[in-house]
Amino acid sequence: MRLECSGLNFAYPESETMVIQDLRFAMDGPGFHAVFGPSGVGKTSFAKLLANYRSRPELPIQTSGIGTILYTYNLERLPAWSSTGRHLDRVCPADRQDLKKALIDIFQLGPVVGARFSQLSMGQQNRMNLIRYLLQDFDLLILDESLANVDEKLRQTILLAVKELFSHKMFLYISHNLMEVARFCKDILVLTQPSRKKPSKIVSGQDDTSIPVLEKPSLDRVMLEVMNAF
Amino acid sequence: MLFRRIYQFMIVYAVFLGILLVVKKGLSLSDYVIPGLPLILETAVHMSTGFFTDVMDTLSVAILGQGISIFLAFFVGILGRKSSWAGSMIRVTAYNIQAYPIVALAPIIFILLGDGFLSRLLIAAMICYFPLLLSVLGVMAAPVEDIEHFYIATGRMRWQLEVKIRAFENLSKLTTVIAGSATLAMAGTIVAEFIAANAGIGYSIRIALYQSNLAAILTALFMIGIVISVYQGILETLGEMLKAKWGSENKGGLL
Repeated sequence: MRLECSGLNFAYPESETMVIQDLRFAMDGPGFHAVFGPSGVGKTSFAKLLANYRSRPELPIQTSGIGTILYTYNLERLPAWSSTGRHLDRVCPADRQDLKKALIDIFQLGPVVGARFSQLSMGQQNRMNLIRYLLQDFDLLILDESLANVDEKLRQTILLAVKELFSHKMFLYISHNLMEVARFCKDILVLTQPSRKKPSKIVSGQDDTSIPVLEKPSLDRVMLEVMNAF
Repeated sequence: MLFRRIYQFMIVYAVFLGILLVVKKGLSLSDYVIPGLPLILETAVHMSTGFFTDVMDTLSVAILGQGISIFLAFFVGILGRKSSWAGSMIRVTAYNIQAYPIVALAPIIFILLGDGFLSRLLIAAMICYFPLLLSVLGVMAAPVEDIEHFYIATGRMRWQLEVKIRAFENLSKLTTVIAGSATLAMAGTIVAEFIAANAGIGYSIRIALYQSNLAAILTALFMIGIVISVYQGILETLGEMLKAKWGSENKGGLL
């Protein structure tokens, strides 16, 4: 699995301001990779371009070993006409019923599967939305703030479980949580404002697979490297 | 909702009647121009049963016309929701036609179809069809991206699902427009009956008008008001029940 970008430029129509300028990077192998940077730096724009790059052949994005790319973001909603559990049933392939049950358990949503989406808290809504994406066929799943409004402990549990259950898939995790990105992600693409003339770069994260061992000096080094990158 | 509609109408009607009686008293008008309260009450006692039947006749045509226009508005609205040339053409045509006063076409309908049930039904349906169509087109042509994204990305989106999502997300708007169009349908039917029908409350008002019988007209107006208030109240209550059961409003919004 390889995701490569060789000089991506992007500006919204009728705007002269570049959102992304000369973006170059490569990410190899399955696992959790991240896109990090301050607000307004173009993380979501990049994610949307990547999700639809096949319909825009002019984009300098290349992939190998990556078929289906899905993009999910934290403001998505499920329809209101039936319970979230029934929605999950409808979009879950028959051979993934056990995975569905396991995910509901890990994401701690068992007690609310009978409730409608609008009755859930924001954190529960984001978790429920993420489950339905994890049940689909994908090779690369872009998670744009998909675990926003979820408490830190549960977020760590979810990240580790997803890394374990989907170790053969590639994830691109967009988050503003520096410590989380530094701890759990493999390659961290740090985006910078095009106006600062500083190239975006890849920083290697800790790629932790368990919670208990925390190598503080190493984590501090990664976090400092990320912060210095923009 | 239902009772609120009725007592709101009663208040408005009482104020209107009060103003008429003040004008009568202030200008010392005869009972022939503006009847006194005893004459109005006496007329109401004599004619209310007949007028009630007439209003129900008119209402039944209005409901049928409204039903037809709702069906047609959804049918055309669903066809016209796409940003294709056909969808754009349907939307532009609907916007242009609705700017024309449809009631002005009523004489043509009577010439072609005669003064029977069909003419009343057609005019009722036409008058409430275009405002309904514009609302349905507006709802159906606006994507609900935060819900539709998943179904599009995973290849699950079908036109039925798209329509269902957009309708449910705009349940509040649609139920309000449908309840509101009841008045339009009733107005359309009454106008049709004024012009050339042979039944209904509009026809009875026309006869009262030829006799300069304001007491009868006031009684008819009271009957129309009460019946349409009840009908609209029922529609609004049904709409509220639908929204409570299926609506997507966040319950946190209640806080």
